[in-house]
Amino acid sequence: MDITATYSFAAPPSEVWNLLMDPDAIAACLPGCCELRPLPALSGVEGGDDRYQAELIIGVAAVSGTFTATIALSDKVPPHSYRLQVDATGKPGFAHGSATIVLSAEQNGTLAHVTAAANVGGLIARVGQRLLEGVARMTMDRFYGCLAKRVAGAGS
Amino acid sequence: MATTVAAPARVFGSGIRRREDPRLLTGTARYTADFTLPGQLYAAILRSPHGHARIRKIGSSAAKAAPGVVAVFTGADTEGVLQSIPCAWLVPNSDLKVAPYPPLARDVVRYVGDAVAVVVAESAQQAYDAVELIDVDYQPLPATVDPEHAVKPGAPQLHGEAPNNIAFHWTVAGGDVDAAFKAAEVVVRDRIVQQRLIPTAMETRGALAHYVPATGELTLWNTTQNPHIVRFIMSLVTGIPEDRLRVIAPEVGGGFGSKIPQIQGDFITVFCSMKLGRPVKWIESRSENYQSTTHGRDHVQDVELAATKDGRILGLRCTVWAGMGAYLSTAAPGIPTILHGLMLSGPYKIGAVKEDVYGVYTNTTPVEAYRGAGRPEATFMLERIIDRLADEIGVDPVEVRRRNLIPPFDNGFDVITGLKYDSGNYKGALDKALAHAGYEQLRAEQAEARKKGRYLGIGVSMYVEICGLGPSQVAGAVGFQGGLWESAIVRFHPSGKAHVFIGSSPHGQGEETTFAQIVADELGVSVNDVKVVHGDTDITPMGWGTYGSRTTAVSGAALAIATRKIKEKARLLTSHLLEAAVEDIDYANGKFFVRGFPDRHKTIQDIALMANVAWNMPQGMEPGLEATTSYDPPNFVFPFGAHLAVVEVQPETGHIELKRYVAVDDCGPQINPMIVEGQVHGGVVQGIGQALWEQAVYDANGQLLTGSLADYAIPRADVLPDIEVLSTVTPSPHHPLGVKGIGEAGTIASTCTVYNAVIDALEPFKVQSIQMPLTPERVWRAIAERKGA
Repeated sequence: MDITATYSFAAPPSEVWNLLMDPDAIAACLPGCCELRPLPALSGVEGGDDRYQAELIIGVAAVSGTFTATIALSDKVPPHSYRLQVDATGKPGFAHGSATIVLSAEQNGTLAHVTAAANVGGLIARVGQRLLEGVARMTMDRFYGCLAKRVAGAGS
Repeated sequence: MATTVAAPARVFGSGIRRREDPRLLTGTARYTADFTLPGQLYAAILRSPHGHARIRKIGSSAAKAAPGVVAVFTGADTEGVLQSIPCAWLVPNSDLKVAPYPPLARDVVRYVGDAVAVVVAESAQQAYDAVELIDVDYQPLPATVDPEHAVKPGAPQLHGEAPNNIAFHWTVAGGDVDAAFKAAEVVVRDRIVQQRLIPTAMETRGALAHYVPATGELTLWNTTQNPHIVRFIMSLVTGIPEDRLRVIAPEVGGGFGSKIPQIQGDFITVFCSMKLGRPVKWIESRSENYQSTTHGRDHVQDVELAATKDGRILGLRCTVWAGMGAYLSTAAPGIPTILHGLMLSGPYKIGAVKEDVYGVYTNTTPVEAYRGAGRPEATFMLERIIDRLADEIGVDPVEVRRRNLIPPFDNGFDVITGLKYDSGNYKGALDKALAHAGYEQLRAEQAEARKKGRYLGIGVSMYVEICGLGPSQVAGAVGFQGGLWESAIVRFHPSGKAHVFIGSSPHGQGEETTFAQIVADELGVSVNDVKVVHGDTDITPMGWGTYGSRTTAVSGAALAIATRKIKEKARLLTSHLLEAAVEDIDYANGKFFVRGFPDRHKTIQDIALMANVAWNMPQGMEPGLEATTSYDPPNFVFPFGAHLAVVEVQPETGHIELKRYVAVDDCGPQINPMIVEGQVHGGVVQGIGQALWEQAVYDANGQLLTGSLADYAIPRADVLPDIEVLSTVTPSPHHPLGVKGIGEAGTIASTCTVYNAVIDALEPFKVQSIQMPLTPERVWRAIAERKGA
């Protein structure tokens, strides 16, 4: 499942970048999420992977449940691009998603171009397949939409 | 009140109601899930969510500590206790590579649904809850799901034993196919995908195992089509001797092939009971059933037909990639080979055929027999390519068929693949179908409708199928690791009532009724005085099971012969009791009498009493009135027929309306026409399901996307027309009653019948091929593409 989308932010890239890297903002905006607990960077390199663990509640059609997710921000080129990887496993199955986010300055702010790929397995795939792409897209829309609102809120 | 006494109607051939139905329809039948034993535990199986992955670690401590949990087992625990699940059809000359098929996965999982661990708990709920606490660390591996792609270089490999995932390569050839193609004036080709189907028996799989350590005895309630095979295989895998192993198939809620094989869950359940010394029950959910009970079909077929310009078929050449799934299921290799390739020439005189079949391992649920098993896939190829030929040469498809049919024969016809068909009158069935449907008029209506922008389609498919499996010597020659004979015991009690014990195992086909009819017809007793017992290896004689439309064809023959033995003994005893020469004893309507003196007679009930009390037996005659027959058929039986469908397609939406369905089937003399009609109905509907609605879909990672009835569309009554069922009667020359099988005929014919009708409807758009199932979207797209072209 491949999804691409573009989101606009009413702030310059540097400001958007800081928000996208902020674990509290991610936690607040990721649907079904609560708290991001930092994990040690795999690379051990300063400024390397930002890795977090979180409990996510994901629901697709009749299937919903709690997933334990690892969220990693990597390949960071501030304030231009990064990679977001989410690996979630739980009772209803598993979901692996990765996205490349590229920010570009626009007249009135910033555009974020998101190229995402996901695969899911287990019950969630067997029962909810028809709805998965819609749910994935909606989750992304809510996440970046929420962040965009935060930018707008901070700017006002 | 005065009553008119009519001559007794013959019981054989009367459409009496099924004796099975009251208990089935009132919910009083008892299935495997309905049995509960004292001290019983429940098993729930953790199944792989990955199509292909290495198991790095299984953490089961949380599950073990969960409420009610008695034990958690993984593949490592089965070491030295359970053998690999055997494949029982080792097709010769095919370079067959049987990869290990562990009852619980060891190190690697190879399909979504592969068994990884089992939790045994005091209740089913506790077992299912604890399964979710097992923590498995998987390393996902690349998967391959398409049988054609899986053999290509670079495809992910499932088993070290099978390079390029090729489980076998089997060839059938007859005649000079290259010469046929050289001589051809016309060659037509097609690529056909027989999509993967899920059998969807109403009752899912399940087992209740009760192992008693003190005696070493196992009793296994198992929803199976072949309890004696279960006993044999279970003994091989567990080491429990067959004499200490009792398999009971209680009421079985449909099988359609999916209850032939022994699957992981059966062995796991037995293993748990052996380890714990307590009864253990495992019952699949529907979701589990869809992943882990076997699937059917899954062929990619390249077909070429060589012919003359006037439609005479010269040769047929095919290559088939048959998906086997991740492991070779019990009978799997025989299905796309013996039951498929040998039937390539159908009811036609074809001088040359060649087929290459590649059985291919893929990261999918194992494939097994599914109603028709190989024959629908052969019939479709042939009947579809004949329509392509008809289209190519501009001759009516029915006429092309007529020009190639084998003429009527009543005692043997050798076909190019090496089989000897037993009897056939293919033209008779075709004529009857066309006459009943009003073929010429339908063509006229179609032409009229097209003028008005309406798209009617008429589809015809013929078939001849191989069933009544079969001579055991042939079974051995084609690699089947068992026999295919059947046995029956007829036992008359002192009161004149009878028990029939059979080794086969009907599960919805109605033999409790038809077999009683056989005895009643032969001996003049009431059907209600004959009880048919099956499905318990401790009670019934040996038999190889109910599949391949073989129960009436083989088991019924055994019963007919056993009944005739009873009749002969009754005649001898009558002669003794009436002090008349045995040559002078006649039989009619339940009475044995002295010829010319009908008052000097004994009824079969009299004889049953006298034989059982044994006060006055002739010298050397054993007491009792009982006969046993083991019957090995001299040949298969070959039912046939012609089906016709009328559809209307809405080009704007791609919607298909099935307007009429006419089935003419010939299964020889019918013991019970109502049951035959029911079998044809069910079969036709399952075949239509393949044409129009059903498909098991995997994504590239091996995820089963049609994992529930919300996404896998089975036929419903509201989308089906009245099925017009007719028959012709061509007896089998070798069956004692002349009968052939009918369980699969409908499925074998109907898929291509409906498919041909849809393509015929789209003739104005020049659409020649649409991948099944013919969903509205696919039909609409096919039309749109042609319009764009």
